[in-house]
Amino acid sequence: MYASVRSATLHGAKGDPIMVEAHVGMGLPGFTVVGLPDEACKESRDRVRAALLSSGLAWPNKRITINLVGSDERKGGSAVDVAIAMAILVAEGHIAPEAVMPHAFVGELGLDGSLRRTTGLAPLVAAVADLSVVVPANGMAESAICNPVHLRAVNHLGELVLALRGEAPWPLIDLPTPEVTLPSIEDMADVRGQHAARFALEVSAAGAHHMLMVGPPGAGKTMLAKRLPGLLPRLDDGAALECALIRSAAGELAEAVVSNVAPFRAPHHSTSLVAMVGGGGGSLRPGEISLASGGVLFLDEMGEFAPSVLDALRQPLEEGVVRVARANGALEMPARCLLVAASNPCPCGYDGVGGCDCTPSAKLSYFKRFSGPLLDRFDVRVHVTRPSTEELLGSSKGEDSATVAARVQRARELALERQGCVNSQLHANNLDAVAPLTHDARELLRSHLESGRLSARGYHRLRRVARTVADLRDGADEIGEEHILLAMSMRVDVVPRLQHV
Amino acid sequence: MTMTNGQMYAAALTALPGMTPRRLHMLMAEGSPEEMWERIASDSWVVPGLSHDFAETWNNVNPALPDRMREMCDRLGIWVRTLDDTDFPMMRGERAQNPCVLFGRGDLSHLRLQRVGIVGTRNATAAGKHFTRNLGGDLAQLGVSVVSGLARGIDVAAHVGCLEGNGSAVAVVASGLDVVYPREHSRIWNQLGEQGLILSEFPPGTMPEKYKFPQRNRIIAALSSLVVVVESRAAGGSMSTVREAMNRDVPVTAVPGNPAMKSAEGTNKLINDGCQSVCSTDDVLVALNLGSSCLPRVEPRRPPTPNGQELLELLAGVPRTIDWLALATARHVTDVAIDLGRLEADGWAQVTNGWWEALTVRA
Repeated sequence: MYASVRSATLHGAKGDPIMVEAHVGMGLPGFTVVGLPDEACKESRDRVRAALLSSGLAWPNKRITINLVGSDERKGGSAVDVAIAMAILVAEGHIAPEAVMPHAFVGELGLDGSLRRTTGLAPLVAAVADLSVVVPANGMAESAICNPVHLRAVNHLGELVLALRGEAPWPLIDLPTPEVTLPSIEDMADVRGQHAARFALEVSAAGAHHMLMVGPPGAGKTMLAKRLPGLLPRLDDGAALECALIRSAAGELAEAVVSNVAPFRAPHHSTSLVAMVGGGGGSLRPGEISLASGGVLFLDEMGEFAPSVLDALRQPLEEGVVRVARANGALEMPARCLLVAASNPCPCGYDGVGGCDCTPSAKLSYFKRFSGPLLDRFDVRVHVTRPSTEELLGSSKGEDSATVAARVQRARELALERQGCVNSQLHANNLDAVAPLTHDARELLRSHLESGRLSARGYHRLRRVARTVADLRDGADEIGEEHILLAMSMRVDVVPRLQHV
Repeated sequence: MTMTNGQMYAAALTALPGMTPRRLHMLMAEGSPEEMWERIASDSWVVPGLSHDFAETWNNVNPALPDRMREMCDRLGIWVRTLDDTDFPMMRGERAQNPCVLFGRGDLSHLRLQRVGIVGTRNATAAGKHFTRNLGGDLAQLGVSVVSGLARGIDVAAHVGCLEGNGSAVAVVASGLDVVYPREHSRIWNQLGEQGLILSEFPPGTMPEKYKFPQRNRIIAALSSLVVVVESRAAGGSMSTVREAMNRDVPVTAVPGNPAMKSAEGTNKLINDGCQSVCSTDDVLVALNLGSSCLPRVEPRRPPTPNGQELLELLAGVPRTIDWLALATARHVTDVAIDLGRLEADGWAQVTNGWWEALTVRA
């Protein structure tokens, strides 16, 4: 008559354990699912019925009610199919209640009775990892990354029923050996020329400074940005797992690869607000900013993004988490990413001096889309120019990523040892203590401030970047003139200023 | 500074709808401004050469226009001069080609005997603007008027340099003297009205329009005893000043530039066509027949370091990127960046969109 079975539903980037209750009783034959199911859940009625019949099991012509426990919270996804089928079978007496007790069931059913993987299998399994989890065989590798107590992989509903009845052994399916197909990291050694931009990347990686590259089309902005993950420190196990769970929740974990390389996301500029910060669909899908967490979020052609999308990045970048609130609940998803943006210098994209055809007002309106508060987030701002023929042919191969990454690692360790955080998170009040200025450096800053080349707003950011420059170059305690000069070279005027001469 | 009746009515005539310099000449040739104003207000009038279509339009013009012009000019501190006034500026070329009414702010005595028109592109390089500013400052010290158009780029650099040297800066603009264009020049616009001279043939309230700029250029040419083109594209607006100057037998000189630069296309072509080339203030003085004068040269900037000097030499005449400089000097890019930063802080170099320019050329 009554049965309850454990399963899990997806909520943002996390799985939530739930109970699936079934009641099979007298009355007009019918099948209802209650407990705030979304459309995919409701459709499971038809899938479960077909799967049971295809598996040679009887369908009770009775009144069937399924309740997804936790009646005040919305539940989405097709991952409860198997649990619903199990609950019905237990309620009908085909399987003993004790047999399903130690298990949680996660997976979708096909009309032929086969078990299929669903979006977010990894976080779903993680939610019930203290049980023996039954998962579809083709999702086994993905399920295994969060190490549940016991993992049972099953191909077909019939097999599952036999195993639970004790009439057949559990199917033995070997965990596919995780192929080490780490995402190919592009190497800095492939970059010809662009030494100034390379150094800016290094500084950005070492201090976790958000970076803006301005340059004409074809200057190599995307190529440079793609190499940033290779410079960032490798993710630790916890961060790598979190990263994999988020990807699984977004339905993007094709292989069971827990990569410790920082993720790189480059959403197209038509990306919507919801796709950027997360919250789409019934289960509140994680957005690009969460998918990039721990790594790099690259916005090519930043001016083409909708201003609302850009402004929505500000709070998550500051706090490291994004809070998505919807009518059916609010949730927090991680958003600790390094923002790298690229833009053309003006609408015509001329590379050089004195040949641009854009009027000053056209240039200004081109940059109007970047709100001041967002531009303020970029500590490192560089111009990237197209490499000349001499640079392409003449210069030797640059350093490879491993060499640069080692320096970045050392600089980060230095910063963590000194102040317990990366330099970009240094508080202005702390700057005098951890980044004191030499006399020359102070005089130089004074002259830059007085001449208007440096704004009061940019002053603290410049000092943070100078701290990173010093950590990278010599680890000096005091910030010298040279460090300030180098930091200034990475703080160019992006928005053209209207000036006389 | 009260306005005579003749000036008031002349000002009103310039503000009639459909008025052009040519039509104004026709009217003014017929009689005094006062007579002409009365004549067009009457029902039947004839001015030879002027279409009768204007009769109706001008008949309906508000009869209070002259008083309004007087009130407006007085309020804005603008004076009016007509050909009848003894202090109407001397201009080169045929009278009919030049304006017969001028609006102005500032002191007409700033139109000295020797006047150099400095013109060039709005899209100037930092080096071009630096040269122009120095040239304007030198000419200021030598008591030569600097005439230009107060446009972006080269024009405003000439004015700024001249004003910095407390010289006689003269601007000719293509809008009413109360309509600042481009807007970011409002400070120097007013400064010219107070410490220099700013002229327009258009009455107050006139908006700048594309066709008015070549008209303005002919006045610059007519007021100059020599025209210097600093930077110009092959088909730049400065070329119309050059044409007007040549029509008036005003000598034209040009500053040569690197052939790789778009901004030097026009000037190099002028030199090719036989214009005298100008690389320094002395060259300008020679062209003015003032003979070469040894100006006391005071370099206010801290001298560059040897490494900085090497970079400045590499940057001579053509902008370069920091990567190019690092390759050319075979030094590490961060060391080059440090040297460039020093040069920039001391005013020896400037960067635009990643391209560095040397500000070494003394005018």
